[in-house]
Amino acid sequence: MIVLTPSRQLPFPVMAECISPDVFQEKTLEEIGELAVWEGNKQKKLADLFKVEEQNREGENEATITICGDVAEVRRIGASMTIGEIMIEGNVGMHLGEEMKGGKITVHGNAESWAGSMMKGGTIEIYGSAGDYLGAPYRGCGEGMRGGQIVVHGDVGSEAGAYMKKGLLKIKGNAGQFAGLRMHGGTILVEGNCEARAGACMTEGKIVVIGFLESVLPTFTIEGVRNKVKIKETDSIEGPFYIFSGDLAERGNGKLYVSKRKNPHLSVFEKLL
Amino acid sequence: MPHIEAVTCPVCGCLCDDIRLRIEAGKIVEVKNGCAMCESKFLGYCGEHRLSKPLIRKNGELVEVSLNEAVKKAAEILAEANYPLLYGWSSTSCEAIRIGLELAEEVGGVIDNTSTVCHGPSVLSIQDIGIPSCTLGQVRHRADLVIYWGCDPWSAHPRHIERYTSFSDGRFEKSEWKGYLSKTKALIVKKKIEKALKRVFARETPSLSPHVRREPPPTLFKEGRKMIVVDVRRTRSAETADYFIQVEPNRDYELLEALRLLVRDEELEVEEVAGVPVAYLEEVADLMIRCNFGALFFGLGLTMSRGKMRNIDAALSLIRDLNTRTKFTIMPMRGHFNVSGSDTVFTWQTGYPYAVDFSLCYPRYNPGETSAVDVLLRGETDASLIVASDPVSNFPRKAAEHLVKNPLIVIDPHVNATAQMGDVVIPSALVGVEVEGTAYRMDHVPLPLKKVVEPPEGLISDEEILRKILSEVRKIKAGKMEES
Repeated sequence: MIVLTPSRQLPFPVMAECISPDVFQEKTLEEIGELAVWEGNKQKKLADLFKVEEQNREGENEATITICGDVAEVRRIGASMTIGEIMIEGNVGMHLGEEMKGGKITVHGNAESWAGSMMKGGTIEIYGSAGDYLGAPYRGCGEGMRGGQIVVHGDVGSEAGAYMKKGLLKIKGNAGQFAGLRMHGGTILVEGNCEARAGACMTEGKIVVIGFLESVLPTFTIEGVRNKVKIKETDSIEGPFYIFSGDLAERGNGKLYVSKRKNPHLSVFEKLL
Repeated sequence: MPHIEAVTCPVCGCLCDDIRLRIEAGKIVEVKNGCAMCESKFLGYCGEHRLSKPLIRKNGELVEVSLNEAVKKAAEILAEANYPLLYGWSSTSCEAIRIGLELAEEVGGVIDNTSTVCHGPSVLSIQDIGIPSCTLGQVRHRADLVIYWGCDPWSAHPRHIERYTSFSDGRFEKSEWKGYLSKTKALIVKKKIEKALKRVFARETPSLSPHVRREPPPTLFKEGRKMIVVDVRRTRSAETADYFIQVEPNRDYELLEALRLLVRDEELEVEEVAGVPVAYLEEVADLMIRCNFGALFFGLGLTMSRGKMRNIDAALSLIRDLNTRTKFTIMPMRGHFNVSGSDTVFTWQTGYPYAVDFSLCYPRYNPGETSAVDVLLRGETDASLIVASDPVSNFPRKAAEHLVKNPLIVIDPHVNATAQMGDVVIPSALVGVEVEGTAYRMDHVPLPLKKVVEPPEGLISDEEILRKILSEVRKIKAGKMEES
């Protein structure tokens, strides 16, 4: 296991896509320390910013990286990773696990925006909160999450799961507005409250809100009330839930499940059933 | 007494190019055809707020220095910085912006223009959805339905309605100015009669009747040009309109999405959207479909309210849907006179319209990550160059605090809040008054800015100042290369 500890404060943005088990694999500590990173507009070595150590404990995978300390300015950690595990004991910067295909990232802190951006496989678990655009693509790209699973124990910002096609997004706290924007598939589960415009322009997929949902867009139509909803093959949640279908503005057929108990303001739709 | 004809006004995004100036003894003494903002700019450009000498902060005080000393100091700050920010650009010429981009690449900094705090969300949406647009000339000659959404052109772009939309005399559509005057006169008379009647018969304090009816008036379906205003409050422009839709604050997205459904002849399950009854919206959707050439103009009421770029997504998608049934165009109401120009120059030089990061030696673009306010809020910059802008007075407090905490270089013709906080302040000549240049109108038509008077002694253009700083930065970098 490789342990990275920031050797000083990092005030400028650091681009460190090299912090990935795929890159560290079969490299000596010296070779890892020589890897190139950008701090602001200066190119540096990884060893200039981090103390690089090796710790071998029984039962731990060799392809594990542990980052001890706050790396909120370090971006693109675990980008395109396919194997192994990254554990971060602190806050982490933007684009965590961008386009990752496999492996696991665990964050014992908060993650900045675009965590799990365009991921295709693997798991990201964030014990704090996540910023905006969780699992969403970067600007101008129309392909979001295409697989894998992201679990956030805290809150998330706006546009979580935008352009999502496959995979699962589990938010244990509250979600910002436009959750599941333009999603074409996959599942988003919000266990807390959700701001307005959930599922805007969605065409396929499923959004489940267990808490309070601010409002349902006028371009959604109510389909019925169901007692439980399936999240994964083996996992289902007890309701009852209102089922809305939309977004009709995009001729979509996505499903929005909203807890009946927590959302009495939506009872006006019952007369349409 | 020389007159200068066809001068372009360097104030707002309308770039009115029919201004007539009278010059006496090297000073502008009369402005014809301009709005109040235009007159103020041309007649008051050389007032007490003008900067005249380069300044450098020494021992906490700004002291006068030579231009060369100020340029050298600015170049040293930028060359040493790890993550400098170069911000402003929307109130200067395209030629100066081009040099600014070269400088940003040389120093490996983040360069951003004022789009980031105004129509940046529009740009992001246009990249996602596309924009069916046209020039303002097309609107002037052909548009029979004009919608202003979340903007107040009567106050912010005073000649927009007169030159390009409802009150302009086009080749195929006539001005509605006379109709507006008679409507206003009739309303005044009506109010007077109502007041008099109430005083005589009821002895009550008369309440003012609403100026614009809530439901679509029958006159909305008349022949000729129609104007609709959608806003959260009844603005001056709304008073001018044939129909005013008052949307609940931060609910524009819902209203636009509902209209999208209605223009496709689909039904809504709700009775009211964003405070507007669906029955009224159906009539508006019908009007939009039945027009021959519609134009929707939108402002910061849409880009900076809740939903931001997604509001514009909805507006652009509505226009896309309308174009399957009629001809409709859409255009952002750009504020600064050359903000369209900065987007254009940024795009042709770097591939991206604003928020461009050169720190990795190639241009990167990700608003939210590389945009000026976000970079400052996260406290990432260690030096800044501000050109023709005043971020200290209009950025969030925390961002402004970080901006002034680090070395700050300001190039501006005037003493503004940012210049007062600067470490190096370089005065420049006013583009469009004292020096010439090029600017882009809000519909992306480039127009020449004229030099009409001589600049004060010793003042040079933003372009020349930036060239000097760039040359100095290159010298410092070459020296360092030799040393290493």
